[in-house]
Amino acid sequence: MSTASRERILAAAKANKPEELPLPTVPDFGGEATIERFTTVLTGIGGTVVRMAALDELEETLQQLFPEARNTSSPLFRGTVPVNSQTPTGILAEIDLAVLPGEIGVAENGAVWLPEANMLHRALPTITQHLALVLDHRRIVATMHQAYAQLPHTGGYGKFVAGPSKTADIEQSLVIGAHGARSLVVVLY
Amino acid sequence: MKVALFVPCYIDQFYPQVGIATLQLLEKLGVQAHFPAQQTCCGQPLANSGCERDALPIYKHFVQTFSDYDYVVAPSGSCVYHVRKHFDKLEQTADVQHVRGAAYDLIDFISTVLKVETLPGAFPHKVGLHLSCHGQRGLHQANESEMTPVRDGQLHRLMASLDGIELTQLNRNDECCGFGGTFCVSEAGISARMGQDRVADHVLNGTQVLTGSDMSCLMHLEGIVRRAQLPIRVMHAAEILNGVVT
Amino acid sequence: MSHAIRADKFLLDADRTTWHDETLWFVREKRDRAVYAVPEFQELRELASGIKNHTLSRLDLYLREFESAAQANGVYVHWAADAAEHNAIILDIIQKEGATRIVKSKSMLTEECHLNPFLIKHGIEVVDTDLGERIIQFRDEPPSHIVLPAIHLKKEDVGDTFHTHLGTDKGESDPQRLTEAARQHLRAKFIAGEVAISGVNFAIAETGAVVVCTNEGNADLGVNLARVHIAAMGIEKIIPRLSDLGVFTRLLARSATGQPVTTYTSHFTKPAPGKAMHIVIVDNGRTQQLGRPDFRASLKCIRCGACMNTCPVYRRSGGHSYDFTVPGPIGAILSPNIDMKKHASLPFASTLCGSCTDVCPVKIDIHTQLYKWRQVLGEANEIPASKKWSMKFMGRVLASTRVYGLGGQFARKALRLLPHGLTHAPSMNAWAVARELPEAPKQSFREWYAKQPQPAVQPTQPQIPA
Ligand code: SF4
Repeated sequence: MSTASRERILAAAKANKPEELPLPTVPDFGGEATIERFTTVLTGIGGTVVRMAALDELEETLQQLFPEARNTSSPLFRGTVPVNSQTPTGILAEIDLAVLPGEIGVAENGAVWLPEANMLHRALPTITQHLALVLDHRRIVATMHQAYAQLPHTGGYGKFVAGPSKTADIEQSLVIGAHGARSLVVVLY
Repeated sequence: MKVALFVPCYIDQFYPQVGIATLQLLEKLGVQAHFPAQQTCCGQPLANSGCERDALPIYKHFVQTFSDYDYVVAPSGSCVYHVRKHFDKLEQTADVQHVRGAAYDLIDFISTVLKVETLPGAFPHKVGLHLSCHGQRGLHQANESEMTPVRDGQLHRLMASLDGIELTQLNRNDECCGFGGTFCVSEAGISARMGQDRVADHVLNGTQVLTGSDMSCLMHLEGIVRRAQLPIRVMHAAEILNGVVT
Repeated sequence: MSHAIRADKFLLDADRTTWHDETLWFVREKRDRAVYAVPEFQELRELASGIKNHTLSRLDLYLREFESAAQANGVYVHWAADAAEHNAIILDIIQKEGATRIVKSKSMLTEECHLNPFLIKHGIEVVDTDLGERIIQFRDEPPSHIVLPAIHLKKEDVGDTFHTHLGTDKGESDPQRLTEAARQHLRAKFIAGEVAISGVNFAIAETGAVVVCTNEGNADLGVNLARVHIAAMGIEKIIPRLSDLGVFTRLLARSATGQPVTTYTSHFTKPAPGKAMHIVIVDNGRTQQLGRPDFRASLKCIRCGACMNTCPVYRRSGGHSYDFTVPGPIGAILSPNIDMKKHASLPFASTLCGSCTDVCPVKIDIHTQLYKWRQVLGEANEIPASKKWSMKFMGRVLASTRVYGLGGQFARKALRLLPHGLTHAPSMNAWAVARELPEAPKQSFREWYAKQPQPAVQPTQPQIPA
């Protein structure tokens, strides 16, 4: 049945579409690609930004931030739970803290690009109770235009993450920690 | 400059003082406007009800009535907006195009054609502006809160130039009053509620005189003010300006 | 039943109407602040509109391009002409998987197709995982807003619902604790989910990827834990290039809730190893709308909900008063395309104030389309006969100066001479329920004017007072 519908839909779209209109070019609007802006915006949407001088301070920094985290997982250091794409859901569901490398930070909205290759398992960044994204401060861009311009492709799966999971579905009251990570820290180095 | 006055039907019948103030104000600004007696209506009530076809003879009559004038000025932005925007249904003869371009809301005419932005005179009252949606969003006579935080507009400037006047800061700068033409009876409940909310914003923020340049919104708001017996006076901007300019 | 009748029911509870209006106005104000903060916002709207217009003008070509790219990614692509076919395709995928536990993230399309009742009828458990959607699913209600599906409910209502369905304490109405209860409840559903259904915010022709934007993370959690992902999209979700997302992601969340971006902007391009991904592309009236030149721009909609939040009518009548999957101004221009008779009153549920048009991030001329639908409905005789005939009568009167003069005088005199009780009787005069009629003056403007010394009609030079 699907093939007949395919033909019908495509034929109708062709018959009913308007005369061709040009595709606009999107300019680079410039903007402020600073750590300060990124930090202000991310803080404003419930995230936290932590600075460290070099990547080798990561474990110590995390110790201070998450002293209670028992089940941790990361490609950047030896966490307590090794995770790969085959890790069963039951084990993923027990993870307190995932520490993953981010690729690009967006100053205008506090988002960080997280490709599949950095996630260990596709579900890890949302199923973990807390999420830390580690980002080279030189990878901060001003806007989403610039972020997309820097992405070679989006891989099999990838996402921008801007702050912790949240909802305002009950009377517009903001609640942090809906289904995904309850907190989000971006560790800048 | 040959200027015609268009006095919409409801102003003619219920608010003759607004038509008179418009005429006199224009005269004080050096414009002798003429009122062609054969005029009727712009056709908007029919068209907004889905009966555009029945409105076409009215459109034609309007064009015939006013095609000899350089400008057609009306104390009702909504009618002007209708002429400019919806007379596209007529065959676009030279006359039709001319009349569409010649139609002006009174305040727009004073501001953009006569280039008057300030007026001498005093009006020592707290005045709340009602921006009609068709004037503001349709004819761009004032900034819109959808676009910018800057509150500016033709009526705002003219009023602010009067001595002793204080303009009300509303909680919602430019929310619709709920008149909406036939909407006011076909959706009477919502229409009334919108009007009550609009008036409440003025009461809350201390408006003594509620004014605007579109009499249709003001008719609706006045009806609510009088029903609730509120201490607010509703006046068309032409009445205020005509009263203070000598 | 008309919108006005349903609106009147909503208005009966005046305090709740105030609360509903203020809650949504609060969202509109958040939107304003976010918009003012981006200097190029108006330019972005223009670009978004241009990209969407272009896409619609090559829709068949982009759909083909998208399909090939998605198939090359190992994704199964299905085509559904209408809601029934959409539902059948999804049921078939689920049954072939032998699955019975479905987790679903927000999708207005599946609402439009009434997928849930269809699946449930076939013995499939389908759980809506967006918090707002879950709340209304428990209550067996349709969403009242496309972004904030449970916006018509107060926290006490949600508390009652959760007490019944999730066993939270009676009287518990703290949003934080209620959300936590839902989190625990839904985590179990996510972990057990076999097939995940998601909506689609954007489908990229160039890469074959679908992009889903959420704040809660429910789409990511559901899809990435299930064996199979089914993404359902209308044909209008296509955009040409990945880079176009720069424009749309900057507009969507700011317009919707005033956030700079949604928490998650997730790009699903290929299934994870060992898993499957399906995309169902749905028409259901959209190509027909594409063929209506006056109304095709409605297909540019990115479902941000801004036109609802700003609409003074929507805020005071509630989403259910529209009795259509998509309420508010955009619903009022989409619904007559689906069923003109049933939804005939919706294009009239507006003052044509134009605020919707001015907030719309893709610049749909919503209020102009409302006006044009009125004409279509008028021509199709879908407006009440009494209105139609009185308008015809008015048309004749107003085209003639002489008849007009008589009619107006008659009305004014009647108003002056008849007792207040008669002219203001609510049963006879909808105006007078809440408003006084204007006080009828003794003479009309034209009567006054006729008595004035007539000025010669000749060009005058304006004299501007200093
Ligand atoms: S019509 Fe425009 S404002 Fe309304 S939901 Fe669609 S995109 Fe948003």
